[in-house]
Amino acid sequence: MKRSIVPKPATALLALLLVTLSGSGLAAAGKAAKGARTSKHAGQGITCAQCHGKSAKKDVVPMQQCLSCHGDTKDLAVRTAKVKPTNPHENRHFGTEADCNRCHHEHATSENLCLPCHQRFGFKVP
Amino acid sequence: MSQDHFQEDQETDQYTKQVIENGLSRRSFLSRAAGGAAAAGLFGLSSLPVAAAGTSEPKGLDFAKSSDGGATLSFLPKPKPIRDREIAETLTFDVVVVGAGASGVPAALSAAENGAKVAVIQKAPFALSQGNTGSGVDLATSEKAGIEALVARLIADSNHRCNPKLIRQWAYNSGEAVRWVIDRARQGGSPVVDQGSPVQRAILKVNGYSMGYVTSFFGPKPYTTGDGMRHLAKTAEKAGVRFFYRMPAVQLVQNKAGEVLGVIAKGPNGKFTKFLAKKGVILATGDYQNNKAMSDYFVPDVKHLERKQLDKTGDGFAMAYWAGGVFEPIGHTKMLHDFDAGPASMCDMPFLAVDRKGRRFVNETVEMSLLNNYLRDAENAGHYSQIFDSNYMTQAAAWPGKLVPPEGLKNYMPDDPSPKKGVFESQVNTHVADTIEELAVKIEADPATLAATVRRYNEVVASGKDSDFGKPADRLIPVVKAPFYGIHRRVRVSAICSGMLVNENHQALNADGKPIKGLFLIGNLGGGFYGGVDYPLTVFGLSLGRCYTFGYLTGRHVAKL
Repeated sequence: MKRSIVPKPATALLALLLVTLSGSGLAAAGKAAKGARTSKHAGQGITCAQCHGKSAKKDVVPMQQCLSCHGDTKDLAVRTAKVKPTNPHENRHFGTEADCNRCHHEHATSENLCLPCHQRFGFKVP
Repeated sequence: MSQDHFQEDQETDQYTKQVIENGLSRRSFLSRAAGGAAAAGLFGLSSLPVAAAGTSEPKGLDFAKSSDGGATLSFLPKPKPIRDREIAETLTFDVVVVGAGASGVPAALSAAENGAKVAVIQKAPFALSQGNTGSGVDLATSEKAGIEALVARLIADSNHRCNPKLIRQWAYNSGEAVRWVIDRARQGGSPVVDQGSPVQRAILKVNGYSMGYVTSFFGPKPYTTGDGMRHLAKTAEKAGVRFFYRMPAVQLVQNKAGEVLGVIAKGPNGKFTKFLAKKGVILATGDYQNNKAMSDYFVPDVKHLERKQLDKTGDGFAMAYWAGGVFEPIGHTKMLHDFDAGPASMCDMPFLAVDRKGRRFVNETVEMSLLNNYLRDAENAGHYSQIFDSNYMTQAAAWPGKLVPPEGLKNYMPDDPSPKKGVFESQVNTHVADTIEELAVKIEADPATLAATVRRYNEVVASGKDSDFGKPADRLIPVVKAPFYGIHRRVRVSAICSGMLVNENHQALNADGKPIKGLFLIGNLGGGFYGGVDYPLTVFGLSLGRCYTFGYLTGRHVAKL
């Protein structure tokens, strides 16, 4: 199956529409649509390619990609400095450099990485 | 490895032979298969489970094989070579250290002080380590017979499965190395102190011979050796060591002859950098506790036990394996503690201990460092509680250990509003309650079960004989007077401390017992220093002391090549 059938730039909605119209035959579009369905950014007009690039081979998105829109993690750590019981964005394990995706997942339910060890760090992770 | 080869090489010691025969290496299976009758003998002795070959092997990928060749090890995929055109930058040093921890940072500084141009590449954004205490033997105040007695004691602690040469090397070099770490860390701004011999009170005499110790203490918490290594890294930077953070090593660079020439690392931008090492690569990448498949294979005992560390994925193990290195045989040594939930000085005191539900499960004279063996199942997962009543200060006064009075216990109580000092506030887990049932709720046990356990325990105590578990009568005190205390501990994996085969230069050996040129392994990646079921607590701070010592020695050795 050629990847070229994926519209470029594919909005999430369009990809979803395509797969709906064309049934299950279009594996590539189906994959894109699945990603779009689970994406938290998709509803905000952000395309797959903006994070994953346009290459047919979809590499893991490096954290730099998050920072290119959301800004530096040091600034984030300042914004969450007063979160109780501790600042999740500045910790002894990673400083301010924890990979965003360790907690904040784009295509899956986010998780609280602190919790297994620090049982009273009950953060809600968007 | 054929039997003939062993006979030819009279120099190979028993430990090394054993690891080559039973350990896991890239070539062990192939050479055994080629060994004919001798190899068949080895197969016969093997106790590894033999899986049907290829049942779950993904196509098109090459994986490691178990040491009998029967099972495919999906956690050790053969790395896909990174081509030169994928390399964004190539940098050349004399020595490249992978991993900035308690052995890597000392190794880097030691190499630099001996004239080498050194790079450290580190996966995390800064140097990392854990724990507070790292120990060595003070030769000036120790009798030779005492040192040898201590060596014998440590060998026995490791169930006689370690490499005695490495224990001796620690014993005779650790005083110098630990003092050096203290001095250099202080230069970097660390408040580290030498606590000397007093903290090692149980081993001031070994077999009647006098001993003295150098005991570095990076603390108190929340300051730990992690902060200490960051201070030591400052000294190393001043000495010219270049640190590359957020740069996980991906694969070693080897020539056709198998010599290790360098290492390729991946930067935060996703680009590869090749670090060439003219004298050698020192891997100090730590253990593999966060690599579930690797852990389940080598230490299935900890399958259900929680981990204390993050990102210890055994990268160095995989790299050394594919470079020809040999894993120590299955049954790796583990270290599980909880010094944080309550006072460390009370962790081995034989109060009533109950499992996660509230049942008594052991003769409580068993040390905390061994209790994980009773709590390996998914339900307990390392959780247990020490239970005592308000008479503990008088009734347990004669026990070994150090009691903390009720006022001091508040420092370990998450429900007590007092400010916490010298502890990890998020890990304290000591509780007090007026009834056993209330205490059970706080320690997350089943109230009815705990109440029944305490009733039964008090009967045993009243009888003066522990007819349930055989604990000595002078370790039996009742749980009757409110308020009642509970320290809810959960032993988690601090480290897995078995590694890969090395010689006394900490150079990796291959399946023929020959050194792999350019490859050195230290810290928990280095094998041969333990071998027992659990890490021994005989010398408090042995683990970090060994890391500092072998880092110090190996950095110097490689710099002088």
